[in-house]
Amino acid sequence: MDSEPILSVKNISKTYRLGEVVVPALRGVSLDVNQGDFLVITGRNGSGKSTLLRQLGLIDIPDSGEIILQGQPVAHLAEARRREIRLLKLGYIFQEYALIPELTALENVMLPALMLVSRTECAKRANGLLKKIGLDRRSHHLPKQLSGGEQQKVAIARALVNNPEIIFADEPTANLDSVAAQSVLEIFRNLNSHDRITIMMITHEEDETAHANRRITLSDGKII
Amino acid sequence: MTGREAKLPIFLAWRQIRRGNPWTLVLIIFLIAVAFINLVFVSSLFKGIIKGTDQQIIDTSTGDLVIIPKNDQGTFDNSDALLTKIRSNQYVAAASPHADIPARISLGERSGTWNVVIIDPTVDQQVLNISQRIEDGSYLQADDEQGILLGRQIVGGEGIEMDAFSLRGVKVGDQVRVSALDTATSFTVRGIVATKFLDTDQKAFITRQAAIKANPALAKTVTSIIVRLKEEAENDAAVASLRQASGSVANIYTWQDAAGLMRSVSSSFTSIDVILSFVAVLIAAITIFIVIYLDISGRKREIGILRAIGIKPSIIQWAYVLQTLFYTFTGVIVGSILFFGAIVPYFAVHPFALPIVDASLSFEAADLTIRIESIFVVAVLSGLIPTIHFTRIKLLDAIWGGK
Repeated sequence: MDSEPILSVKNISKTYRLGEVVVPALRGVSLDVNQGDFLVITGRNGSGKSTLLRQLGLIDIPDSGEIILQGQPVAHLAEARRREIRLLKLGYIFQEYALIPELTALENVMLPALMLVSRTECAKRANGLLKKIGLDRRSHHLPKQLSGGEQQKVAIARALVNNPEIIFADEPTANLDSVAAQSVLEIFRNLNSHDRITIMMITHEEDETAHANRRITLSDGKII
Repeated sequence: MTGREAKLPIFLAWRQIRRGNPWTLVLIIFLIAVAFINLVFVSSLFKGIIKGTDQQIIDTSTGDLVIIPKNDQGTFDNSDALLTKIRSNQYVAAASPHADIPARISLGERSGTWNVVIIDPTVDQQVLNISQRIEDGSYLQADDEQGILLGRQIVGGEGIEMDAFSLRGVKVGDQVRVSALDTATSFTVRGIVATKFLDTDQKAFITRQAAIKANPALAKTVTSIIVRLKEEAENDAAVASLRQASGSVANIYTWQDAAGLMRSVSSSFTSIDVILSFVAVLIAAITIFIVIYLDISGRKREIGILRAIGIKPSIIQWAYVLQTLFYTFTGVIVGSILFFGAIVPYFAVHPFALPIVDASLSFEAADLTIRIESIFVVAVLSGLIPTIHFTRIKLLDAIWGGK
């Protein structure tokens, strides 16, 4: 384990406004994540799990506190710089796959890499990833032609295409049947154990926590 | 944007066009085509009315130029010599001498005062096309000494503007009495002239022979010379040349100068055209904006996902602008095919029958270009404004809703 955490969360807070009501989603959360961690976040609905992951994945901005990524404060950077970090260092997997419907599986995976490397290199990387997750024969299918599990695998491949430092996965198995869910978890386990990719994953399923080497539980916006 | 990044909008736009909902694509293109047709149709109709009215004045009354004497008598002293000079001019295709004589025309108890125009039918057909505007009966023969053509405003009838002052109910073959210059002669109505140009339709026409038979003093009377220029002749050059040729005996007027009240009518149509064009551009702009805005609004989440995975906002914006340009280009092409391939030819064969003119559609390339450009400008803005908005709002709101 590296001595310096890859990701440090310092006392972050976040509130949302629902009409007239102010909802505190995170209340001073602090956390260190080390290189190679497979960390699962659990907690009841509304406990702040997704909110925390979105702050860490630079999808949202905390009201206060700081996020240190590889020694650099990133929480309150300008959006252009945050986008660059999302592109180069982070991979985010949404619960509902979030694929671009008009792009094939291969094109969806290639998309973030097209900003950085040649199309040939993108295709090579994307094909390699699709093969690794067992979808090489479905690479020219559109998302609507794929099952939920296959779509989630494509989303995982897309998150990996730029060789990120950390993968954030927001309940990646929530919409999958048990077989597909196991298959997705197996991919995460391999990525973590073989490729030493740091993974932070939200789950509701107790048995999925067994894949992780760390677990935190949130309740009312705090780690308990 | 780097060269590699510049290819990404094309990559995204083309796939979204090709693999998006085909019915949405067809609907957007169809609506842009309709907006384009609406934009050019009204203007083309007004231009058609203006052009038709102008052409009607030229073809039935003034020719391209009207030459009238400068002297106080209102007739040329030596019309033959002047005609020879005019006809030999390099810009002139044909010239027809007219003698407009105020006359009292009567049929039984009814009578009125109108101008009787003395013409040479053979020569006049080279300058004016009244011979093709005979509603009933026939045009005058060159040697006709008894016949008269009456404008339909003289004849009168249902729906005729000046019916109250007309002879009401003259038919081809009737005998009318024409009193002018202290003589009265009976003429047989050969035909009824219906040009839709009020000035011409309030005139009667007889041959020079008929005029001489009625009053030999009219043999050389010419009150105006109507000139038709060659196709390639320029008006200003022709006027200058003819002024030089005619010396001090004649005033030369263009058809615009001679058109009188009809020029005001044409100018009014031009003003209305400008107003309606503005409204049409506004309607087209709003239609295109709404259609494209709704289409892109439906892709808000997709824009959010693209942002979330690190795609530059400028790339996303260009991707949607390119899509919008494709919709607009195709819409304008489809609209042009429908307009120029079906609507324009239809109205060329079946013109709008308006009281003052039978109008077909007319357009100018420069005007069309401006309209097409305005559609493209609107389309680009329609694509750009919502995309800029959705690439600037909070990422969470773009992906999961909110304002």
